[in-house]
Amino acid sequence: MFDRRLVEYFDWGLLLIVFIIVVAGLGILYSAVSAGAPGATHILFEKQILWMCTGAVIMFSSLMVHYKYLNKNYIMIYALCIALLIGVLIFGRNISGSKRWLSLGHFAIQPSELMKLSLIIVLASIYSSSVSDEGMCFKELLKPGLFLALPFLLILKQPDLGTAMLLLFISASMTLFVKVQKKVFFTILLIAAVALPLIWIALKDYQKMRILTFINPDRDPLGAGYHIIQSKIAIGSGMLFGKGFLQGTQNALSFLPEQHTDFILSVLAEEWGLMGCFSLLFFYLLFLLWGFNIAYCCRDMFGSMLAFGITIMIFWEIFINVGMVMGLMPVVGVPLPLISYGGSSIITNMAGIGILMNISMRRFS
Amino acid sequence: MSKKTDKKIQIRIVVIEVGLLLLIGLLGGTAFKIQVLEKNDLTGKAEHEYTGYDVIKGKRGDILDRNMNKLATTIDALSLACNPVKMKNAVMDSEKLAPILGINSHRFDKEFKTKKHFLLLKKNISPELKTKIDDLGIKGLFYRNDVVRFYPNRNLAAQVIGFTGNDNSGLEGLEYRFDSVLKGRKIKISITRDGKGQLLGNDKILEQRFRGDSLVLTIDGTIQYICETALKKAVVDNEAKSGMAIVMRPSTGEILAMAMYPEFNPNSFSGFKRGTWRNRTVTDPFEPGSVMKVFVASVAMDKGFCTPKSIFFCENGAYRLGNFVIHDTHSHGWLTLSQIVKYSSNIGAAKVSETIGRKTLYDSLLMFGFGRKTSVDCPGETPGLLIPYGRWSDIDEGAIAFGQGISVSAIQLITGISAIADNGVLMKPLIVREIIANDGTIKKKYMPKPVARVISTGTATYVRHMMRSVVEENGTGTRAAIDGYSVCGKTGTAQKAAKNGNGYAKKKYTAVFAGFAPEEHPQLAVLVVIDEPKKSHYGGVVAAPAFKKIMSEALNYFHIPPDLNSGKLVAENLNGATP
Repeated sequence: MFDRRLVEYFDWGLLLIVFIIVVAGLGILYSAVSAGAPGATHILFEKQILWMCTGAVIMFSSLMVHYKYLNKNYIMIYALCIALLIGVLIFGRNISGSKRWLSLGHFAIQPSELMKLSLIIVLASIYSSSVSDEGMCFKELLKPGLFLALPFLLILKQPDLGTAMLLLFISASMTLFVKVQKKVFFTILLIAAVALPLIWIALKDYQKMRILTFINPDRDPLGAGYHIIQSKIAIGSGMLFGKGFLQGTQNALSFLPEQHTDFILSVLAEEWGLMGCFSLLFFYLLFLLWGFNIAYCCRDMFGSMLAFGITIMIFWEIFINVGMVMGLMPVVGVPLPLISYGGSSIITNMAGIGILMNISMRRFS
Repeated sequence: MSKKTDKKIQIRIVVIEVGLLLLIGLLGGTAFKIQVLEKNDLTGKAEHEYTGYDVIKGKRGDILDRNMNKLATTIDALSLACNPVKMKNAVMDSEKLAPILGINSHRFDKEFKTKKHFLLLKKNISPELKTKIDDLGIKGLFYRNDVVRFYPNRNLAAQVIGFTGNDNSGLEGLEYRFDSVLKGRKIKISITRDGKGQLLGNDKILEQRFRGDSLVLTIDGTIQYICETALKKAVVDNEAKSGMAIVMRPSTGEILAMAMYPEFNPNSFSGFKRGTWRNRTVTDPFEPGSVMKVFVASVAMDKGFCTPKSIFFCENGAYRLGNFVIHDTHSHGWLTLSQIVKYSSNIGAAKVSETIGRKTLYDSLLMFGFGRKTSVDCPGETPGLLIPYGRWSDIDEGAIAFGQGISVSAIQLITGISAIADNGVLMKPLIVREIIANDGTIKKKYMPKPVARVISTGTATYVRHMMRSVVEENGTGTRAAIDGYSVCGKTGTAQKAAKNGNGYAKKKYTAVFAGFAPEEHPQLAVLVVIDEPKKSHYGGVVAAPAFKKIMSEALNYFHIPPDLNSGKLVAENLNGATP
């Protein structure tokens, strides 16, 4: 069973890129958690390292199993994630008004993060058997639509608009990648245009506030606009080369909100400047191109879809997070992959990268 | 598994890769725009934020009694504020708000007209009040997480502790004197709030980190309560105008209780008369009356002019001094020095004073602490009035000996009395025991501080014995006697100076009782001063019962065993039991 070529074809390049991003991320996180009170928050840094190690173990151990088994068992994986999502709604920990966390003894997981990966597997599995030249019609879209709708609504109920939208973006990207019929595309576009005002009404007050604030952050500089203005100030004050490691004033004086999770990029930007931002974006870009290349080289449709889905997931996370921190997007809770503090996000992304490696090293078959 | 044959998919990947390049490029471009093109603007903003005029204030430290019970603390509370610019009709809204908040509806009219964005309306909003305000649905109102000073025991030791004003700075009492110690340190960064106008989490941590130091007082909450209760009863029973009482530990000068009546509640001080706020035991001088005789007798013996058995002729109740005639309550013939104290003869005291001589008496009273501040750590201390001996008239020389024509503060008097109890060593009165930093470490300890030896140990023993006789049969202070304890004391009944400054007011008296127990090793000294009692005016009748109540309960509280009778009885019984 064990093939010598598996080692031969092992994707060292991908591993190196990921390693660089992870190490850079730990450096930024160290600075972020040391803000203001040194010593007290270092526990977060240690926990993050623990999560990284766990992620690496999952990543490498998953390499042993051929990814085709994911195709066979996608229903099981999906059902497990759905069960967790329902569990969150019932037993979840309520943190500042939303239930996103499921407590498992000493640590907590965020099932919505795991759901992203699970949905990608499901869609890859469905689409790999229905791909055609003329594109998919409505009937073919019904099944993936239902698979998306269930977790989408469950996550919306938490409420976690950011992750729900991310699911939508990932599914849309994958669907468009497979190609849909023109009339289907335009009909959905029309429905979306009509539905938008309705969605606005359904949004919670704080969510509306964030979107209004996104349009004009100076509307309420000490209120809803606070995050984004502070973040921009931190980034802007970093200038070309930054203030240096652990030297960020906005970070140290605790002006930066959520500086170790969603807004960690502003710490990087403040302390390492434009050069730091560009370097990180460069490695991210390298990673994404690498991922698409794996999709490109993979010889079977499922693997290709899977690689594409995972890469596009990480892309959307990067784009939404960076866009949000820089004021291009409304503030939604999406972490910066491999860098933001958070166990579920780290594990999901590492597992995803594991699958990418898995596909990459079996490209010969 | 379907084999991938579709070349178009691979073309699509390339297309997507290009799109992705563009989007990442957009992110990079934005970063460039923010960090390079707008940098001056944003750097300026950042500078402004952490060098702005706004400050984060650490919490104010606590005030604790000697058993570490909180007398004053700082608690979180909601404050109601508004943004006048955002209010639709501020004047109309304030009319709706005023009755709920209990403020004058026109109080903020001026501020409403300015273009301010922040106006504090009321501090310390209770949850019920918040519901009522929310029900009005007024726009432009918001709440702020704030802190208020809270005095959990309300009136207890209120005048000693004092209170803070709206800006959380001390206005009266120890809050005022130790303001710089108690108040939290400030750091110069702007206070940042989230959308609900609440402080962000980090600010709370900072508030704690920059918290002010706490004061531990020498006051004992229980003794203070005993003292206040007994004092209130004495004032009310005698229909008096006001009253004061102090409990001191003679050996250290520690003040265990400092009570005043009428009292006030520092949580709502503005609802009480201004006159009730200050620590009158320190700020208000009064003529002490015959209590002064113990000091005169001390000086007479210590300087070698008399012994307890020296005799003086008391002129059968009337004695001319210059243009005045002084009287005794009961006429006496020949009395020993001890008897002069015991029966409180004014004429006798005047004659002792003549024997001592003006300069020696003046110098010695100054030594006892009269006419100068004790430097107790309470604000607004009065030095009292001890006229320099060069300006004494004939009547002054005599009157000062029985406590008229001299004024003292309650703290001076109890400190002087304590010196007699403490074998002649005058201690500095202590109100603060230690200052503790917010991490619990002791920053400063206030040690007992001897000021001077005012009389010899021997003299002190004699004087204590004289004061013991005051409380014994036929003395003026029998109502201060406590079963089983050798209580020493001295009564005082002073006429109050007339308001017009012309001689003494008729029927306006100050009734005083000062003393300590037990005689041999006094553990506690207590002073009770009742101002303008109506029913009776004698210190022995009005003040002595309150003294007795305070002293007996305090002795009991500190488990100080009885030193009289019962002890002897136990010994006799034991002797009887062994053949």
